[in-house]
Amino acid sequence: MNDDRVPYSELTQRYFQQAPNAGTLNGRGVGTATVGSREGGTKVRFSVQVVDDHITAARFLAFGCPHVIAIASWLTEQCSGKRAHAALPEDVQSLRRRFDVPVEKLGRILVVEDAWIAAIRAAVTKSKEVLS
Amino acid sequence: MLIYLDNAATTAVDPRVAAKMMRCLSEDGVYGNAASISHAYGAAARIKIEEARAQVAGVVGCDVDEIVWTSGATEADNLAVFGVAQYYQGNGRHLVTSRTEHKAILDPCRELERRGWSVTYLSPDDRGLLTPQSVAAAIRPDTVLVSIMHVNNEIGVIQDIEAIAAACNAHGKPLHVDAAQSVGKVRLDLRSAGIALASLSAHKAHGPKGVGALAINKRHAAGRHPVQLQPLLYGGGQERGLRSGTLPTHQIVGMGAAFELAEAERAGDSARIAGLRDRLWEALSGAGAALRNGDPAICVPHILNVSFEDVEGESLLAGVRDRIAVSTGSACTSATEEPSYVLRALGRGERLAESSLRFSMGRFTSTSDIDLAAEVVTQALRRLRRIAC
Repeated sequence: MNDDRVPYSELTQRYFQQAPNAGTLNGRGVGTATVGSREGGTKVRFSVQVVDDHITAARFLAFGCPHVIAIASWLTEQCSGKRAHAALPEDVQSLRRRFDVPVEKLGRILVVEDAWIAAIRAAVTKSKEVLS
Repeated sequence: MLIYLDNAATTAVDPRVAAKMMRCLSEDGVYGNAASISHAYGAAARIKIEEARAQVAGVVGCDVDEIVWTSGATEADNLAVFGVAQYYQGNGRHLVTSRTEHKAILDPCRELERRGWSVTYLSPDDRGLLTPQSVAAAIRPDTVLVSIMHVNNEIGVIQDIEAIAAACNAHGKPLHVDAAQSVGKVRLDLRSAGIALASLSAHKAHGPKGVGALAINKRHAAGRHPVQLQPLLYGGGQERGLRSGTLPTHQIVGMGAAFELAEAERAGDSARIAGLRDRLWEALSGAGAALRNGDPAICVPHILNVSFEDVEGESLLAGVRDRIAVSTGSACTSATEEPSYVLRALGRGERLAESSLRFSMGRFTSTSDIDLAAEVVTQALRRLRRIAC
């Protein structure tokens, strides 16, 4: 047994500990997507609300390491009011640097990215259903 | 304040031990080289070292001339495995051990395999226990050593070492026992148990780091002669040629004092610490989805190992590490992390092994430490389970 772990950055610790926007959304224009598995060690769910092609709210749930929880939480904060693009607000490598994520954990951030993009797409579809 | 619950990794030096060590380090202390036979300084150091040797021998039930000082249990384990293997390689090139041994045994065994030896790794049952029958069945005519630990450092289970020794002796094979976690927790008596070799550590028993011993039973039942060893170190011939190097008097005095204290206070400490362990388990199991690792009825009082379902291991540790010092079921090996091989050997899945915490109490652990630790862990569990999908 050994807990000689890589220390987390201040940003990672803050978003891991406080985890703002943890939860789920329901209602009109809300799209939800879940990617990953507990068996694989990372599972992320985003629920995003889109109105008039803009993100109005987002929530997350995550089973994963502190980096996964922190990044998922941060994404839900960043997106409010932004146009609903099926992409991260910044690319995966930038996110990795921002949160000081070890390179061997890149695959976990890709799970977050996949969940985010799938949730945005689902929300855009839902928002159009509302309009029609 | 950070609560220390990692006493299976190492313990704080008891102030009574530290005081005795300090007297050997002060200017008017016993700082001579015990190998210096030409003056009183050397003689004074020798007297202290022999007093400590008697203290250690008394605790593990052997004679004073059966204790060989080492730098710790890791060196003692290496001396036992390589020492026996090299001395007896003409008789055979096979060893028996278990999958849940400390790396100080497993890594030397792997090295011997690279040199062409064969090693049988026994699998314990899901409680972490071996049977004497499984050990006996693994012994071959070309077996030169069986090495089984007494108390497992991760889960705390106690092997039936007397029965295992009897099985080895019935086949005329020497048994080495890694007893690093035993002293102060459970009695180990080399002579009555028929154990050939035992590795000992000071710092697991509120003694100093950097000192240990290999106990060599001259009269173990497996052979007519004591087990012979090829030394690992040469250069001075100390310790009857088995371990060259100037003896660290203050460290050895500390080990002797720590062992004597550990044995004298074993009954009282064990009862109190078992109470703390049970109190912690009751609180943690109340948080739900907590699985205790190892046989709860056949274990030392100071170790509690728990796997927590529905949480990710790294986040669980990150959620508690600012408040409590514990070990996790995810062992870091160089750049990569892998789940505890001990828990995996017990049949725990990879995720459960990773989401395990080992709490290990010591002489200085208090009830309030345990209550606060339980609160910290249950809060982290509640939070992580609430945000998990």
